[in-house]
Amino acid sequence: MNGKRKTENGKRLSVFCLTFALLLSIETLPLMAQSIGDVQFDEAHLYAMTKQMGQFIRRFNYEEDQFGKQINPASPDYHNQQKRQRSMAILFDQQTYGNQPDLQRFFIEDVTGNDSTFMTFLGGRWYSEVSATFKYRGRDVSIIMILGIEKEGLGSKWVLNNIYFSEFNKLFPKGEITEREKHFLHPMSHELDFMNIYKIFKEPEIIEYYASKSFEPDYLTLFFYEIKKGNLVFQNVDTVKFHVFQIKDWYFEVSWFNRSSSNSGWLISNLIYLPEKDKTELIKFYQP
Amino acid sequence: MKKILAMLAIVLITAGTAMAQDELSFERKQAIDSLALEKVRDLSKYIKIVGSKETAWSEANRVIDRAEELFMNNAEIGVSSLSSTNIKYYKVRPYFEHLMRLNYDRVEIEWYNIEYVSDLQRQPDGTYVGVITIFQTFRGYDKEGQLAYKDTTKKDITVYVKRKETQIGGRMIGFWDVLLGDMRVKETANK
Repeated sequence: MNGKRKTENGKRLSVFCLTFALLLSIETLPLMAQSIGDVQFDEAHLYAMTKQMGQFIRRFNYEEDQFGKQINPASPDYHNQQKRQRSMAILFDQQTYGNQPDLQRFFIEDVTGNDSTFMTFLGGRWYSEVSATFKYRGRDVSIIMILGIEKEGLGSKWVLNNIYFSEFNKLFPKGEITEREKHFLHPMSHELDFMNIYKIFKEPEIIEYYASKSFEPDYLTLFFYEIKKGNLVFQNVDTVKFHVFQIKDWYFEVSWFNRSSSNSGWLISNLIYLPEKDKTELIKFYQP
Repeated sequence: MKKILAMLAIVLITAGTAMAQDELSFERKQAIDSLALEKVRDLSKYIKIVGSKETAWSEANRVIDRAEELFMNNAEIGVSSLSSTNIKYYKVRPYFEHLMRLNYDRVEIEWYNIEYVSDLQRQPDGTYVGVITIFQTFRGYDKEGQLAYKDTTKKDITVYVKRKETQIGGRMIGFWDVLLGDMRVKETANK
């Protein structure tokens, strides 16, 4: 039993070392691949893979070490900025950000600097984008559902915040302002018992021009309506990604990379420097 | 190993009585993780036994009974492959029965030495929910002993952790109950 355990520990240690080497030098991978066994190589990749979004958060905050071992919050290593700075590059899709090292470096220096920021599960301003196939009046269509974490009762849950369905958007085109301004009910219409109101209904495709300027179509309600009416029927989830606005002055997108590489799993696929004041308008789509 | 786990369970039971339910310390979380991992390891063992062509039908059925006990009622297993994002849903027993009926002459199921345990989050009713990720390689061989099919799958298993109480010798004793929930099985590109 002890002998077996020693062998297992030895194997685990070698995989750890291998993983560590892989994490430190992603570019040398092709050379290493030729010199190690298949299973060990897979295992090293799987160790390095950011396997869960929760692991992305832990790695982002440096709450686990490069071997996936959780760091005790009482330890000086917990949230250690130097180690965090050194390890954060593994959270980027290197096929994209390997070519843009400056943006990646700027981001890492910013979030691990004096004004450092951490990501928290219940901290809000991060959303899931679930792209799914539905049957809409008999044909397959793609609909994007935006979900957010909401606190409730003793804990929290994912809730539907918004949806994007091109058919709905086509119903409410952003028309030219000059065209919109031509359509109104004059202010004395009430004195005529609104005899002119029939004009609203003559052109249903622009009926919203007669609504208040503060009117915004509520796509989620339309979605629920079509589901309840049986016009939209869920088929399957196609892809999942995350949009993170939680980090001060930054926005990034996290996508799943299923590939045979140590740079796989949940990784940053899009990074934009976005001052806080510019986020408000964008977040409206994710949390209307 | 069993001795250590038994001791761990006792610590969890006794220390649990004085512990407020809403906050999990790092140490307690680690102890609960160990209990959850033990269930997942049992599940891995059962998959290997049921998948093996050397396991007698009656024995496989007995193991499926044990496997069902690991899961909550109505837990589902959602399976997809690299070629299709379509998820096939199984209840626990049909999933194991499907595994038992696979049309290969010999089957090899190996588990990678990787277990990743998420943080525990509370759902609205106060139950803690976590996910454990494990990886498995499956190889199916035909009559000629040739490899007919191989895949590596990532298995994300929901873990529910609930604080419960039981009466022992007239005293109410709190303990942490761990049950498995839905399991997502996704083929990875690691071949």
